[in-house]
Amino acid sequence: MSARWLTGKVAAAILTLVFVVIFNFFLFRVMGDPTTQLARLPQSTPDEIEKLKADYGLDKPLLGQFADNVGDTVRGDLGISQKSRQPVVDEILDALPWTLLLVGTGTLIATLLGSWMGVIAATRRGQKTDDAMLGFSMFTYASPEYWIGIILILVFAVWIPILPSGLQVTPGVEFSSWLAEAADVAEHLILPATAMTLMLLGQYFLIMRSSMVDVLTEDFITVKRATGQRWDRVVRKHAVPNALLPLVTLSAIQFGAVVGGAITIETIFSWPGLGELTFQAINDKDFPVLQGTFLIFSFGVILANLLADILYFYLDPRVQTK
Amino acid sequence: MSLLEVKDLTVTHRGKPIVDGVDFELNRGESLALAGESGCGKTTTALALMKMLPEGLKQKGGIVLRPPGVEDPINVHRRTETGMQVVRWRHISLVFQGAMNALDPVQHIDDQIGEVIRLHERKVTGKQVKARIDDLLVTVGLTAKLGKRYPHQLSGGQRQRVMIALALACRPSLVIADEPTTALDVVMQAQVLQLLESLREELDLSLILISHDLGVLAETCDRIAVMYAGRIVEIGSVETVFSNPQHPYTKRLLDSLPVIGGRRGLAPPIPGGPPDPGDPPGGCAFHPRCPYSTDRCLEDPPPVEVGPDHLAACHFSPWSSWPEVEPQKVRVDA
Amino acid sequence: MRESGALKLLTDTWRGRFGVAVILVAVFVSIFGTLIAPYEPEASSLDVLQPPSLDHWLGTTESGADVFSQLLVGTRVSVLVGFAAAIISAVLGSMVGIASGYFGGWTDRILDALENWFLVIPTLPLMIVLARLLDPSLIVLIAVIGFTSWAGTGRIVRAQVLTLRERSFVERARALGAGDGYIIRTHILPNTLPLIFASTVLIIAVAILSEAALAFLGLGDPTRISWGTMLQNAFDSGAPSAGAWWYVIPPGLCITLLVLAVSLLGFLYEEYINPRLRRES
Repeated sequence: MSARWLTGKVAAAILTLVFVVIFNFFLFRVMGDPTTQLARLPQSTPDEIEKLKADYGLDKPLLGQFADNVGDTVRGDLGISQKSRQPVVDEILDALPWTLLLVGTGTLIATLLGSWMGVIAATRRGQKTDDAMLGFSMFTYASPEYWIGIILILVFAVWIPILPSGLQVTPGVEFSSWLAEAADVAEHLILPATAMTLMLLGQYFLIMRSSMVDVLTEDFITVKRATGQRWDRVVRKHAVPNALLPLVTLSAIQFGAVVGGAITIETIFSWPGLGELTFQAINDKDFPVLQGTFLIFSFGVILANLLADILYFYLDPRVQTK
Repeated sequence: MSLLEVKDLTVTHRGKPIVDGVDFELNRGESLALAGESGCGKTTTALALMKMLPEGLKQKGGIVLRPPGVEDPINVHRRTETGMQVVRWRHISLVFQGAMNALDPVQHIDDQIGEVIRLHERKVTGKQVKARIDDLLVTVGLTAKLGKRYPHQLSGGQRQRVMIALALACRPSLVIADEPTTALDVVMQAQVLQLLESLREELDLSLILISHDLGVLAETCDRIAVMYAGRIVEIGSVETVFSNPQHPYTKRLLDSLPVIGGRRGLAPPIPGGPPDPGDPPGGCAFHPRCPYSTDRCLEDPPPVEVGPDHLAACHFSPWSSWPEVEPQKVRVDA
Repeated sequence: MRESGALKLLTDTWRGRFGVAVILVAVFVSIFGTLIAPYEPEASSLDVLQPPSLDHWLGTTESGADVFSQLLVGTRVSVLVGFAAAIISAVLGSMVGIASGYFGGWTDRILDALENWFLVIPTLPLMIVLARLLDPSLIVLIAVIGFTSWAGTGRIVRAQVLTLRERSFVERARALGAGDGYIIRTHILPNTLPLIFASTVLIIAVAILSEAALAFLGLGDPTRISWGTMLQNAFDSGAPSAGAWWYVIPPGLCITLLVLAVSLLGFLYEEYINPRLRRES
């Protein structure tokens, strides 16, 4: 891989991140007037507001505030939560692993399952399997993920009470070993991860299917078959690698949707991740926390995009020589 | 000794014939041209020879291959898909139409060639494969180091040469080249044709060359089969057919060829268009466009031997001379 | 010929008939829903969380209101927001995508940066914040959703245009001296339309779903009932744990059916534009 290309990509990613910081600041400090937000705190009198403004550096000129904000952000200081009075960074770091667990599980299963289904359907176009997969994907693609979550709760926690309807571990239980605790977490993970998988599955499937359908009509597929290769080998070795390319781009784009899904799904299942943190912050009008989660979500998406670019670079030689 | 024998090859789509009773033989080391307008069934015939028709097309009729060194003749028409997999490329290979998208874009050239060698020759070592690839690339006029490239890094001409190298990879006895030069410029066309021609002599290959370009075919082939609406309307040696065409369609095709330094003006193009594949007019399919047609042409014309190894499917063959026709007499009611 | 072909696809396939039927019903209900509704949608009663009966076809809510009436009245917001926002978004996305992919160079750099930028911002949180800052109303919802959801289309269109630009027929046309406008019209656009449409489908879906999500999170137009608000109320009042399926399932099912209908029509259109995708039947 050319070092220049990588440097360029990383630089672009950093630049995007810088703009996120700028945007973040102006969105929250300029569009939302912090004084009124502070005034909504129950105990506030005019004096207290002045004191709060001083505490938060809100009495400085805007550009000064911005400089402070950027400096703090770079140092990893994302401010103090207005609700809990804890450093925002701590709240985010507490929540992050839970979101990564949920999102990682959901995305992984959806990618594998979706692309596998896409290949199967594309090679059986118009047959019953294809129709069934299309129907199923279309339905999950069209449903709100939190509604699917609610139905999962209704079915597997209320009607057939076999799975927990929320939280990440059973509260108030002393676990005998970390394995027992992991098993309990896994049990709590099943429903939210299923909701997340179902949210993403339709998209992955549809893109992989149409990508495969496109590739299968290419001349080189006919040639590969003419060389005497078995059809399943042609599909596996030649059609799939070519068809996977659009999926790589898609998975990066999907990350934004994943974040959205994390908010609603974590809300439904009281899953203590970044999504729920965001939702709480919105309800509590806790702007430092919102700003922090915004930043970390954006950082995640930028990183995912960068990784997808690098992966694409390895997969598609046509990009390498441009 | 014939290498390939095709008997009454018919390809149908929903019961309608796309290729209708094609017969021909091909000798070892011989090259046969398949000529005709697009949609006349040339490519379908080629794919049928490898049993590679797209879904929905059905083929019947005999295809027998007698490759040198193989004792029993290969009855292609009786082979299953699995049975065909060992015949494809090992005995019949294909140089595909306009090699632009005919190579896998995400696979190195040498991997694409090496892949087919390994596929058909289980015992071959990595070293041997490497040597064979280098050899093949040099044979087709490229350098061995091009193997490390991807298709998009090559020019159109280079890609077509790679395609030819790929076609020769398993030392087949028959190569089918489907419009191998259409996407290339004239100089490149000549080079690729020359290459095919010299390789044929060198490797004792048989070649089926498919083109709509009679000029290309005349230079390269020994025999020519002219197809119209899924049938062979005339077949014979290139010299005989070109100097003494015995089917009005061949005649018109040849008349529309430019002759360098020739005095006669170009004949007007054949009026009307080729019929819908699978839905030709009854009788002689050319009759609506034929200036000489009569009521008799509503019946199927059988192929008539008009000379040694020269057949034409016209009720009036052999033609001793071609009567002048006034352009307005040409019926364009098709 | 082409027009009758398109119409045939709509009337001769179950997907077309289903799509058209659902959308027609949705549009009809969104106009006349308030008149058809058997009850005042927000009228509370003592029949709290009752299962479906002859009086209340889809049961009652936690405040004793009629679920069916709320469902009918709530259609309007989904239809209006979904389609209006999608149009804004699709136009923005395809314009930016084509310009960016086709012209390359600085145009591409700037537009691509803009696109990236919008892709990077997590859409739902951004919509939440904007909707809150701007006081939720129908117009605000439409503008916010339309303005935040075009980047995906832009990216997909751009990627397609980039590969098209390298295709032989575009190179050929350019070599023959064809102008940019001509190439975009005759080569780029026809080959990109399926994707633009697929994306538009996605956006209509996204827009309907976004409105519902915002409402579900308590950020819908507070003066109007929508399917999202219904889900919010149902969830907040503990309807799922109470097993009140009649309250939980219908609003989500309506969202799903409408998104599904629009998507099916979109895919049909894609097949019509690009017959290669047409399924053997």
